[in-house]
Amino acid sequence: MKRDRIRNFCIIAHVDHGKSTLADRLLEFTETVDPRTMRAQYLDTLELERERGITIKSVPVRMNYRAADGTEYILNLIDTPGHVDFSYEVSRSLAACEGALLVVDAAQGVEAQTVANAYMAAEQGLELIPVVNKIDLPSAQPEEAKRELEEIIGVDAHNAILASAKEGKGIDEILERIVHDIPVPQGDPEAPLQALIFDSVYDNYRGVICYIRIVNGRLKAGQSIRFMATGRECQAEEIGVFRPGMTPVNELEAGEVGYLAASIKTIHEAQVGDTITEVARPAREALPGYKKMKPVVFCGFYPVVNEDYPQLRDALEKLQLNDSAIQFEPETSSALGFGFRCGFLGLLHMDIARERLIREFDVELVATAPNVVYQIVKTDGEILEANRPSDFPDAGQIEEIREPYIRLTVFVPSEFVGKVMQLCQDKRGIFHSMDYITPERLRLSYILPLAEFIVDFHDKLKSTTRGYASLDYEHVGFRASELVKVDVLVNQEPVDAFSFICHKDAAYHMGQSVVRKLKELIPRQLFEVPIQAAIGKKVIVRQNVKPLRKDVLAKCYGGDITRKRKLLEKQKEGKKKMKQIGRVSIPQEAFLAFLNIGKEEED
Amino acid sequence: METLYIGGGTPTFLNAADWESLIEILENGLSFSKGMEVSVEANPDSLNEDHLRLWKTWRVNRVSLGIQSFSPGILRWLGRLHDEKQAIEALERCAECGFASSGDLIFGIPGQNLRLWHSDLRTLCGSVNHLSIYQLTAEPGTPLAGKRVASQSEAYPLYRFAQWYLNRRGFLQYEVASFARNESWCRHNLSYWKQTNVLGLGPSAWGYLDGLRYRNAAPLMRYLRQEGLRWEWTESLLQEDRAREAAILALRTRWGIRWKTFRRRFGGEISRKLGEALSELSPDLFVKRNGRISLSDKGFRLGNSIWERLV
Ligand SMILES: Nc1nc2c(ncn2[C@@H]2O[C@H](COP(=O)(O)OP(=O)(O)OP(=O)(O)O)[C@@H](O)[C@H]2O)c(=O)[nH]1
Ligand SMILES: [Mg+2]
Repeated sequence: MKRDRIRNFCIIAHVDHGKSTLADRLLEFTETVDPRTMRAQYLDTLELERERGITIKSVPVRMNYRAADGTEYILNLIDTPGHVDFSYEVSRSLAACEGALLVVDAAQGVEAQTVANAYMAAEQGLELIPVVNKIDLPSAQPEEAKRELEEIIGVDAHNAILASAKEGKGIDEILERIVHDIPVPQGDPEAPLQALIFDSVYDNYRGVICYIRIVNGRLKAGQSIRFMATGRECQAEEIGVFRPGMTPVNELEAGEVGYLAASIKTIHEAQVGDTITEVARPAREALPGYKKMKPVVFCGFYPVVNEDYPQLRDALEKLQLNDSAIQFEPETSSALGFGFRCGFLGLLHMDIARERLIREFDVELVATAPNVVYQIVKTDGEILEANRPSDFPDAGQIEEIREPYIRLTVFVPSEFVGKVMQLCQDKRGIFHSMDYITPERLRLSYILPLAEFIVDFHDKLKSTTRGYASLDYEHVGFRASELVKVDVLVNQEPVDAFSFICHKDAAYHMGQSVVRKLKELIPRQLFEVPIQAAIGKKVIVRQNVKPLRKDVLAKCYGGDITRKRKLLEKQKEGKKKMKQIGRVSIPQEAFLAFLNIGKEEED
Repeated sequence: METLYIGGGTPTFLNAADWESLIEILENGLSFSKGMEVSVEANPDSLNEDHLRLWKTWRVNRVSLGIQSFSPGILRWLGRLHDEKQAIEALERCAECGFASSGDLIFGIPGQNLRLWHSDLRTLCGSVNHLSIYQLTAEPGTPLAGKRVASQSEAYPLYRFAQWYLNRRGFLQYEVASFARNESWCRHNLSYWKQTNVLGLGPSAWGYLDGLRYRNAAPLMRYLRQEGLRWEWTESLLQEDRAREAAILALRTRWGIRWKTFRRRFGGEISRKLGEALSELSPDLFVKRNGRISLSDKGFRLGNSIWERLV
């Protein structure tokens, strides 16, 4: 098909504004999906997506469309996620498109991610087609939504399409506008091949499958290709398009979106953002690719059973193929053994990764409490990155500790504004700005430590505003903070797994709760065990686990002797499962409970 | 043969005729010696004059009474069949017959306070030179299973009080659960703690023979049907395990471990290992004297945690 009959677009919006449902209608209207197999949010195929009703992964589909004037078009649609943690997915999809449907919920109006995604699309030079969705809702205020689109985002909304994805209204208009407004893909089919890998998935049989957008040239099945970043060469075993299932074709041409399978086994061979070219006539340079995302939230993943460590590593590697924003490296913990320190783009991202590992890869794991990465300026001027307390040097060597900050934007009905400001302040937020979007709705902006944000900000915001607020944030870099590392000592021995970083004003309070919790969980020993929280050498909290005073003492004659010995052996076995810190036996539960301490404490 | 112990269950369940045939069997099968300790276990509710008469005329010199408590409330809670009066009467009759008698008391029953416990101890002290106390545990498979029993911290003061009180009444704690006046130890029980050989007769009886521990078949019919050795279960300990068990058992008693004898029996290496394990613990749990190590009063209270280091 000729290039001018191809349109590549994605659907972007704030979470839940109806992207996937709109995609359903487009699939139906173009008869891409057999009506008998149709179901709601057809493109949300991951079990987790269906369960939670959100889109996690971008999904491409090819549709055939006969326009009103009778012309046949190929439309490549990419449905994207709306949640802030997955904006990396959106940004990668944008690079494969020339236009985007900017969907906004007619009842909710413009929200934080509407703005963020619209800006990203504009920055990539995409044509935006505003769609006001859910006009069937009684509370719909389409005119209001249009006004917000113009005033907040700055798109021309006078001809925004009024649609109801639920009732199928406005779908024909959307399709017509796509073929008329969205630019024809640029690129020269005769030039050397340049294909951008904008995503990848792992398939047990075919290995890594790259989702590609052909920017220049053409890719034929069987052709010898080269990955420009790694120099690796191989044969294009299978190429194809998404209809929506993977359907092989013989050739993909400049402007088209499709997939490639080439028996690639690891992510390092086919990185997302890399350019594929042909071996016979390589392109001179690679496409710009993507900025590597820096994870902002970290946590440890540990197999429940030590022997499952290799299995967990395998699963992480495969998950990374489906989600290139995940990073991980091995680490050991005194309590949990061998595991991985993993980095994510946000809390939901982390949570989803954990769930996917469990469900899709069948590994049992324990996740430690999330934390951020800190920058430490040492007295000798060196700057360290630390993403857990044990990376911290001695207090004496620390000149300054910096932590990541975000600029948080909250869209909130004016009645809740006081509560939201209070919440931000409680979380060490610094007021930045406030403006009225409408007389009833405000945009509030705060500079906030990420560490405070990741604990439970989202949940708190939801509960204080009964779900009426939405948020977006961007990273604004590191700032010096009055942070301290609090060590926890059990019988005078510091226990790494229990130490934590917090603001100096919270140290006493948090130290209390940690020490109190440990006191409950550490069984009595034959001697008194002091549990202390200390900053450097200064002890801030101390409690004692009283010594054991009496065991159950039974009589012991004849046959009791064997029973008794078995009992003692069992008792000893139980202790063996405990972690020995100095002379003190600490049960596994203490370590596990500690991982949640931040959370529980807030209850 | 040094001791004979007729117990485990309720020998007073047997009537006079049964006892006569039992005595006949024992007289024919065993060789008794002078000064042997011959004990019987008795329950206050089933002990009668026939028993006392027969025992007196035969070789019995020690009676161990399952008193448990003198308090009506506690006896009811335990589901015991005797009452306070029967218990006192049984003690008196045994004394009149010239038996060295012993009584068992139980502690750790919900609601059992120091006052009730003291009164039980005082009553029993008045009529025996030997007594054992033990803490109630609700073992699965017993009528008490699932019942709430006192926790360790509730039971602690009672045990501690018994140690203090009995000492003032002239009793020496010679084992974790056993107290005796005038050196009237139960020699039979001591043989368990010394790992000496014990011949177990009758269904479900336990025995020990040079490192082999066994139990006879438990159901009476099966026991009777079996030929030869009627063992249903045996265990034979390796030298090292035997040494560990010996150490634990020895530490139950006030004589503790005598290192010289212990080394001779089990060798230097294991003795050193055990010695090291003990030396890691706080010194106030032990009494060390004349080449022996034994538990202090405090050590007795924490026995399990100490022995655990030795298994
Ligand atoms: N009344 C009404 N409900 C709609 C309409 N479109 C979508 N919905 C509902 O809105 C909810 C969210 O729809 P989705 O299509 O999953 O939204 P989404 O934008 O894909 O959400 P994410 O992918 O998680 O960002 C679902 O319950 C839909 O049934 C509409 O036009 N009218
Ligand atoms: Mg969706």
